[in-house]
Amino acid sequence: MKIKKNTSTMIFNIITYVMLTFGAIVCVFPFIIIVSGSLTNNTTILTQGYSVLPRDITLSAYRTIFNAPKDILQAYKMTFYYTIVGTAIGLMMITLTGYVISRREFKYRNTVSFLIYFTSIFGGGMIPWYLMYANVLNMKGSTFAIWFPALMSPFLIILMRTFIVGSVPEAITESAKIDGAGHLTIFFKIVMPVLKPGLATVGLFLALGYWNDWYRSSMFSTSSKTWELQFYLYDLLNATTALKQMAQSTSISTAELPTQSVKLAMAVVATGPVILFYPFVQKFFVSGITVGAVKG
Amino acid sequence: MKEKIKGLSRGNQFLNKELANRKTGVFLTAAVSVVAIILSLPFFSWISIVNIPALFSKLSITREMAENLFQGYSLFNLLSFVQESKQGSLGLYAMILLILMAAALYFNVAYALKIAFNLKGNKGNLGLYATGQTAMLFEMIATAATAGFVIFANYKFGMTGMQASPVVYILFLLSLLSFAAIKLLEAEERALYKEHGLFREIQKNWVLFLMLVPTFIYFMINNYLPMLGVYYAFTSFNFRDGLWASPFIGFKNFDFLVKADLFRLTKNTILYNVVFIGLGNALQIVFAIFVSQVTVKWFKKASQTLMFMPYFVSFVILKVLVYNIFEYQYGLINNIITSAGGGKIDFYNTPSYWPVLITLFYLWKNIGYGMVVYLATIMGIDSEYYEAAKVDGANIFQQIWYITLPLVKPTFIILLLYALGSIMKGQFELFYQMIGNNGTLYNVTDIFDTYVYRITMTQPLSIGLGTAAGLYQSVFGFAIVILTNFLVKRKNPEYALF
Amino acid sequence: MKKKRRLVSIVLALTMVLTMAGCGSKSAVESLNEAAPAETTDNSTAAEAPAAAEETTEAAALDTSERVDLVFYVMGDAPVDEIAVEDALNEILLEKVNATIDFQFSTWTDFQQKYSLELTAGQADLIYVANWLNYGQLATSGAFEELDDLLNTVAPALKDTVGESNLNMCRVDGKVYAVPCSWAEYTCNGVKYREDLREKYNLPVPDSLENFEAYMLGIKENAPGQGLLTVTTEESQGLLTAFDAAWILNLKYPWVNANGLPYGLASNYDTPSDVYDYWYSDDFTDDMKLMKKWADLGFWSKSALSDTNDSEAYKSGLCVAEIAGQNPNKQIAAIKEFEKEQPDWKSEYIAYGEITNTIYPGHATQNGTAIVRGSKNPERALKVLELLMTDESINRLVQCGIEGTNYELDANGIYHNLSTSIPEEFPYEGFNTWSLRNGDYKLPQETDVILNQMFDKYEELGSKTKFPNVNIYNGFNENYDAYQAERTAVSNVMKQYLAPLQAGLVDDVDAAVEEFRQKMTDAGIEVCRDGFKEQWEAYCNEYGYK
Repeated sequence: MKIKKNTSTMIFNIITYVMLTFGAIVCVFPFIIIVSGSLTNNTTILTQGYSVLPRDITLSAYRTIFNAPKDILQAYKMTFYYTIVGTAIGLMMITLTGYVISRREFKYRNTVSFLIYFTSIFGGGMIPWYLMYANVLNMKGSTFAIWFPALMSPFLIILMRTFIVGSVPEAITESAKIDGAGHLTIFFKIVMPVLKPGLATVGLFLALGYWNDWYRSSMFSTSSKTWELQFYLYDLLNATTALKQMAQSTSISTAELPTQSVKLAMAVVATGPVILFYPFVQKFFVSGITVGAVKG
Repeated sequence: MKEKIKGLSRGNQFLNKELANRKTGVFLTAAVSVVAIILSLPFFSWISIVNIPALFSKLSITREMAENLFQGYSLFNLLSFVQESKQGSLGLYAMILLILMAAALYFNVAYALKIAFNLKGNKGNLGLYATGQTAMLFEMIATAATAGFVIFANYKFGMTGMQASPVVYILFLLSLLSFAAIKLLEAEERALYKEHGLFREIQKNWVLFLMLVPTFIYFMINNYLPMLGVYYAFTSFNFRDGLWASPFIGFKNFDFLVKADLFRLTKNTILYNVVFIGLGNALQIVFAIFVSQVTVKWFKKASQTLMFMPYFVSFVILKVLVYNIFEYQYGLINNIITSAGGGKIDFYNTPSYWPVLITLFYLWKNIGYGMVVYLATIMGIDSEYYEAAKVDGANIFQQIWYITLPLVKPTFIILLLYALGSIMKGQFELFYQMIGNNGTLYNVTDIFDTYVYRITMTQPLSIGLGTAAGLYQSVFGFAIVILTNFLVKRKNPEYALF
Repeated sequence: MKKKRRLVSIVLALTMVLTMAGCGSKSAVESLNEAAPAETTDNSTAAEAPAAAEETTEAAALDTSERVDLVFYVMGDAPVDEIAVEDALNEILLEKVNATIDFQFSTWTDFQQKYSLELTAGQADLIYVANWLNYGQLATSGAFEELDDLLNTVAPALKDTVGESNLNMCRVDGKVYAVPCSWAEYTCNGVKYREDLREKYNLPVPDSLENFEAYMLGIKENAPGQGLLTVTTEESQGLLTAFDAAWILNLKYPWVNANGLPYGLASNYDTPSDVYDYWYSDDFTDDMKLMKKWADLGFWSKSALSDTNDSEAYKSGLCVAEIAGQNPNKQIAAIKEFEKEQPDWKSEYIAYGEITNTIYPGHATQNGTAIVRGSKNPERALKVLELLMTDESINRLVQCGIEGTNYELDANGIYHNLSTSIPEEFPYEGFNTWSLRNGDYKLPQETDVILNQMFDKYEELGSKTKFPNVNIYNGFNENYDAYQAERTAVSNVMKQYLAPLQAGLVDDVDAAVEEFRQKMTDAGIEVCRDGFKEQWEAYCNEYGYK
């Protein structure tokens, strides 16, 4: 019996390691190309194509991006600000909502869930949404218009509900209630502590959403002081194509436009911090395991 | 009519045990429902046009246009007035009236049918009363809103051009009265089942309601109020009249979609999505299980991080990479093939490769990201389950099959239901960047979103078209989700979305 | 039981009564007949006329007692020194007309979409307009204020500066909605090629299809491995062509517009109203065979339909000619780049019109300023626009920034930017206000010498044509509401079937042409053509382009 178990575990382990190694290589390969491309001389990329190792190493692409360090640092700062504020507030609101719609004693939990879910299917489109913030609330140009619209999403709320239902058995909250605990106590003292993987997941998705966003800056920013990092970079890319088309219809002096290697360097600049940050979040996914399945 | 009477008398049997005045109450309110249904039929006009010559000259309605106009309107054909007389500014209001009317009608019919066929829920007549109340409430709102509409329209005309018929007022009073009646009946019934209403619920669970307040505000601002914009799907936008007063054109914007190769687009979109959802989730679960089982810590962390990385490669960059891999002359793959002595492959002119390639790149980009949800779920599983299984001698495959997978199922179903809602929407960026303007590949790679983008991009006034396309996608997705949710709920209510 | 039946009958009776009250819907026209028929149209116009008259008299004396903050929506990205220059500008504007101006920038991300949004939201007062931003369509749809009366009453000086003929070119349905810039330029398309290589291998100047082919083949033979053309679909997105290689055909046809007319129609510059069918002609089949020949010779990549490398190709030597979307400005840019990075290389330019004798200047609607409908202060906005364009110091300030800080003029009066950083703190025309160019005040840049030489040459050539220096096609504004669905279908078929043809990527040209034509017919091209021809002929008649 014991031997059988061991062989099966061994087979499984071999599959696991082989598959994961394979997956990781496939996933990281293009990234290596990007990094090495960002370090390669632009003409070399154009004439000889991409390679795994950088040739004709130069930092000129990064120099171009950091040419105006003030701007890019400001964009970094603002993105951190949006990410932190948005994730903190959003996570709180999502968890509260998830908690409420997971309560059985809450009579309208299905109605509320439906109303939340409904928004993910039906929408009035971009225009009324834009007018809501720009004209009705008159928030164009403010930082509010950039972090507020992404605070919650039906998907994350429902995901959170699933996590709460999964990790907090009804029996525990019932007994707490009998002991006289109110909803606030139950929420903060019982639900929150055991919800770590859920909080980490939803928080991660929220934060990534903020980090990767450029759309709201594009819509609502009136000055580059409030730009998100991704928009800063994305707009540089778009300027290339737009100015090229523009120059067709009127005389304009085109400034230095980003080259192939600059585009790649941008990808590195935008992604770097997240990849450095990710292992910290990972802790929450890893920690559970030692007590779990494969102890011996 | 005879059948209805029969139905009512049969329905009455279940009231026999109840008090006499309640019988009459239910009966009377049912009668009101029937009256409301009859009066809602299109040949009763709720609004009549008065001072016609003056009004028409004021609105510059020509004789030709007047041919298609009536003297009286029900809420069903009110939009035709908006359309024929080119009064776009009334359109949204008229459309809301139509929706209210439809809701009122739906609930009234449901109420009448419930009584006629004696349909009971698990809590006695409470369900019945709830339906009745909703019906009466909608009737009240619809009639009141109609009166409001007349005032609004006259204000817009700058003169008295419309009048609400007495039907509206009578119906309002009737529904108000029966609403109150049902409320009284309900109170008694509630006492019987120890149930309570909204007010009592708020009193009891006010903390929960308080917790929802920010969420409520958020969704109001971000989603529900902008939802009014769905109305644009039925208008032909121009700047002179603005967003809310542009001419109402009915379903003309949708004609556009029908004229396009709707079948091919729908088929492509759904097939891709089905593959994405199916393969995507399967692989995410598999890899999440792999990662969760790894004991070497650094390997676990590293593999997870590395698999997450493709998510950060923006599609613009991806496009450049893909082109340089698959290009004919000097592309990476063709270089390898030629150096191995093979013949070159012309990827960019051969459509059949692309469904596979697009799927592969989708998976590549999304496995690491989507895996996180499953990983977190697996991490949340109580380790005692596994300990117990081990004691029983279950091997690792059995543990996964009998413990992990069943516990991952709820998460999977939620994600599935969620994905189904947007089954008509596609991974726009993925397709747009990978295929771009390469028309040779369109037959197999054109999805709904890319098509709509192409036709709306070239026209500055395509608000109506874009909204109509979005509405089609939403309705399609909604129908599928409602159906799936219903099926899931029947099997296991815990898994259902709502 | 009896009681219930009575109740039901009461209900029924009630509904009967209500039915009476409701009374059936009868056609409104009947009652219109009963009453005296009203003269609808006359009434309404009569009511509006006095109001309009009042407005104009009111505007005559511009009241500047109240300070007004205006927003000017322009394209592209803000310069670093935006605030400083705006402040300097506002100081003057406050003094002169008690108004300030705030430039708001579209950025280049989704700019077309945001442009419509800005007009919908109506928060700006002044806005940059251009034909590539659908000026005509937007004006028809009522996005801008009508300027005829306002120009007379508020800004006569502006009207004089711009000139009646320039303003007339901005008329849509008979009304002026935009003030164009007063600086004429030539944006004639052409071929940009490597003169140094041509000399080196002693090849012909690519001034005809044959010579172009010879030039290409010569380089191919002499320098194997050298890329020849990086053509894509990027410059061919409308209803004229679907793939960039087809632009070279302009060497052959003296069309009224580069690449002909939409929907595969064409007419010559000398006989604009004489529209003929190109796609269904034998010429078209022959041209497509030529494209296939070139593609088979390897002039461009087999994957060209998805190419992404084109933007830097010429500069990096990946191609030896550019044929699509080129104009004198791009030639200037190439010269500048070669000077900096490849001093041995030489770029030369031939406009298609030079060969076919169809040179004409850019159209006034290429750069204009309009007042957004719904602006609270249209008069003041126009007044400010007048100052921005007609006051020399203000015009220089808004176009070039602060003298001494952002730029200086050398002894020859040539503009030099004083910035040492990249991007420049305030580049030339840093606010992207190309619509404020005033021919009299525009500061010359170094490169303007070559540019002006080119312009002079084109002006001379243009004056010899049948319609001297008139841009016929761009003054035309197509209204395709009636056949929008067909038009969309046609543009789709172009992407799907015309692009591979023009890229020479089909096996059998004859069969592919046949299929393309069939698909076009199915898509309803006839409807589009009829609609277009009717409007085009009316336009040509109106302006006497026969």
